[in-house]
Amino acid sequence: MKQHPLCTDCESPVTPLDLPVPAAVKQEWAAIETRRRFLGRSGKVLGWAALAGLLGEAGLRSVAAGADLTAHPQDHKIDLGLPHFAPRAKRAIYLFMSGGPSQVDLFDYKPNLASQFNKDMPDSVRGNQQLTGMTAGQAHFPVAPSHWPFRQHGQSGTWVSELLPYTGRMVDDLTIIKTINTDAINHEPAIMLMNTGNMNAGKPCLGAWLAYGLGSMNDNLPAFVVLQTKTNPKENNQPVSSRLWGSGFLSSEYAGVGLRSGADPVLYLADPAGVDREVRREMLDTVERINRKTLDEVGDPETNARIAQYEMAFRMQSSVPELIDLSKEPQSTWDLYGPDARQPGTFAYNCLLARRMAERGVRFTQIYKRGWDVHNDAVGMLPILCGETDRAAYALVTDLKRRGLLDDTLVIWAGEFGRTVYSQGGLSPDNYGRDHHPRCFTTWMAGGGTRQGVTHGETDDFSYNIVKDPVHVRDFNATILHCLGIDHNRFTFKFQGLDQKLTSPVEASVVQDLLA
Amino acid sequence: MISAAPPVANVRGLWARSTLWERCTVLGAVALLVSLPFLFRLDGHQHADWLQFLGRFHPALVHLPIGMLVLLPLLEFAGNARHSLREAAAFVLHLALLTGAVTLFFGILLAYGSGVVGATVTRHMWGAIVLVIELVLCETVRPAWASGRLPRLYPSLLAVSLLTLGWTAHQGGSLTHGSDYLTRYMPHSLQRIFPSASAASDAAYVGSVYMQTIHPILDAKCVACHGSNKEQGGLRLDFYDLLMKGGSDGSVIAVRSPDQSLLLQRVTLSPSDRHFMPAEGRTPLSPTEIAALRAWVLAGASPTATSVPGISSNAEHADGPLQPVGDYTNLMGEIREMQRSEGAKLVAVSAKPSDGLILRTVDVASKFDDAQLAQFQRFAPFIVEAELGRTAVTDACFDTLGKFSNLRALHLEGTAITGRGLGKLTSLSQLSYLNLSGTKIATDALAPLKSMPNLRHIYLFDTPAEPAPEATDTTRRSTQ
Repeated sequence: MKQHPLCTDCESPVTPLDLPVPAAVKQEWAAIETRRRFLGRSGKVLGWAALAGLLGEAGLRSVAAGADLTAHPQDHKIDLGLPHFAPRAKRAIYLFMSGGPSQVDLFDYKPNLASQFNKDMPDSVRGNQQLTGMTAGQAHFPVAPSHWPFRQHGQSGTWVSELLPYTGRMVDDLTIIKTINTDAINHEPAIMLMNTGNMNAGKPCLGAWLAYGLGSMNDNLPAFVVLQTKTNPKENNQPVSSRLWGSGFLSSEYAGVGLRSGADPVLYLADPAGVDREVRREMLDTVERINRKTLDEVGDPETNARIAQYEMAFRMQSSVPELIDLSKEPQSTWDLYGPDARQPGTFAYNCLLARRMAERGVRFTQIYKRGWDVHNDAVGMLPILCGETDRAAYALVTDLKRRGLLDDTLVIWAGEFGRTVYSQGGLSPDNYGRDHHPRCFTTWMAGGGTRQGVTHGETDDFSYNIVKDPVHVRDFNATILHCLGIDHNRFTFKFQGLDQKLTSPVEASVVQDLLA
Repeated sequence: MISAAPPVANVRGLWARSTLWERCTVLGAVALLVSLPFLFRLDGHQHADWLQFLGRFHPALVHLPIGMLVLLPLLEFAGNARHSLREAAAFVLHLALLTGAVTLFFGILLAYGSGVVGATVTRHMWGAIVLVIELVLCETVRPAWASGRLPRLYPSLLAVSLLTLGWTAHQGGSLTHGSDYLTRYMPHSLQRIFPSASAASDAAYVGSVYMQTIHPILDAKCVACHGSNKEQGGLRLDFYDLLMKGGSDGSVIAVRSPDQSLLLQRVTLSPSDRHFMPAEGRTPLSPTEIAALRAWVLAGASPTATSVPGISSNAEHADGPLQPVGDYTNLMGEIREMQRSEGAKLVAVSAKPSDGLILRTVDVASKFDDAQLAQFQRFAPFIVEAELGRTAVTDACFDTLGKFSNLRALHLEGTAITGRGLGKLTSLSQLSYLNLSGTKIATDALAPLKSMPNLRHIYLFDTPAEPAPEATDTTRRSTQ
């Protein structure tokens, strides 16, 4: 009878040597079985372990000592030598359109597609690309021209879909990039790549790099704040996890601070009844003393991060209520942002909050808006999605501009990939769905030293491949860092033997054409 | 008088008398020394940290063999009178050779480990290798000299070693202190005899196309290897005069003929070409950068021209070149002290001190008033941006601000100012950004600003002076 080698109730006991492993390994195992070998090797192993322990501890201690909290944040900044050069942008606001907005229906105008309706996209366009499991089995790839007409806007004459009337009004302030492209075709790797420069988890995101490198401008608010937009259950919401704003191998004090998308952005902000500020302060001082003792004993730099986070939370108790108090906003604000802005957790409310944080010196604000994953019923869903975001994004840029903040604030609008020109599932005369498309998608930037009223790059007739001026995600991130005064090649952190950087070890370059 | 046999014959005699073992040792040592640069090929990449860790002892060790080598001829001279000193000289030579060889090895580890490359590094390395070889030869011939058989060979070898030492040490000094270290403070009368790099300065060219467009390209793409630290090919591109002077291959800029200019030839070769620049896998020049260089050379490569056909002037959308401010680094102690007492911060714009400081008040905005602003007056020449939004300053702040001579951006949004005294800002020739949003400022208070040509951005949102909204845009952008 044939038995599995690891089966427990065998007739004869099974040894590891029965496992299907290479003969050389088996020989090595056999050799270990002599007592002399075993003792000899154990001795060496203990020696190496002791050495590693000694070195490791010294390493931890040096890190802990390096993150001296008594030093002023500014001294720390000068140590890193940042910014490398005088920046055009002091801060950035990143509007993240999670799910993959359809460039075909929003920005990438292809007037000739109408004649291709329901015709199969030529195989030569797709080449040997591996598709997602959702459309790889399709026998046909019928071209679905955009349901909405496009119009020219502004002095630049930029074509924008009718879905985005407000965005159309501000095209002369935007740098539109039609040729951004990514390596991943599925949400999680693509959104990780976009945010951290790497498809695998464990790397710090853009905001954490900025918090680490540039620090906060306001001691009472975090350097990096994440705002999530309340989900609309009608939309196809892909999960957004906290590792997208995690600090990876950087100290966890640089991770994004997420505010809740409800009426209470920070829970338990007020001290409970009977606990006044002094009592709270005393308690925190005691906790800090205990933490410092732990730090001395263990030398784990994360203890430093913990101390810093307690302090930040204490200061946020007084700074956040002022931040979220919108009662003093003039009527012009509500006229601009629209009625949605009065409801906490909407995209418009978050945009307004982002402007208020920009005024108060938050270095990097990232707003997540989910639901752009229109595999089916694109015609039904896109108007809802655009209705939620179009006016608010316009209001944010316009508000920053009229208040004189757009000169040194970089605003970024981007998703993790684009969508296919061919329909996923059936194509009917008045509806279609679109699958993920990594080869080209559209993003825009405004302010912070970017050019105004330009469109960068060209795609082919099917909005499928790039014809001119490709911008890889890495180049995009390098350009963002450049706007903030950082040379992406020199901004590194040594980890796992590699000088890690946001743009990964692969070559990336700043896209000069996007810069004023 | 007995005439000495010709030196060559003497050397042959020495060779003939030596044992096979001695021959092998000497030849082997020389071969090993010559092969060192090939074993540790300097490829411009960093290598393992421990190599650098050891290598960094090179500067600490290097003065030991130098001292002993300088001592050696003195001992040999003095040995004529006191024989014991001659015996000591033999020992000093042994030690000099030993420490010299170790120092050389550590030096190579340092260069290899840190990834440094360049003409000076190469010269320094070969100088040291030749020096150690000469010391090996000294060691070999000295016994014959001491016994009176070869009276000239050892002294001349020693003299050559000392000359090699001087040259090599100078290369090393150039690496650590910069090649113009010795000549930087040379009196002017001497500078005319020894023209030196230190005389170069581009201060006179501020605002020209060269400074705005050409110099930044060279600075970003070329100066890492053709600058004060490394002078590859004897060429430096960090100053106009040096750029025009060229390198060991002659001039690199042929005025008005870009195709004849070596610099343009080298950056436009195929990237796989051995002579392609920038070398070592650094970022190549972009087509726009090459086009700018070409246009500038074609137009005469002038350092002062302020417009060149084919180079789009940034002046339309950018705020012009940033005027460098003085170096504040020696004031850092006072600046920190000030921050501790006032709460407001003085933040560096960038790692370059000449980019100036930002006065940042956001942490203490509600308490920051005119008196506190006045405290910062002593740092006025270094402050390029004052963030006074939502502070407690009043119209009295203009008295102080008028003295911030390098101020480029001024935030006064949400303050109690009414605009009285705004005219005091007219002395700020660099001011290009003024934010008065959310103040009580009235239109007639703005009149004095009309005389400020650099003031491109004035923000008046939510003020009595706000222009009537035209279309959807309420921002007033006065461009003059």
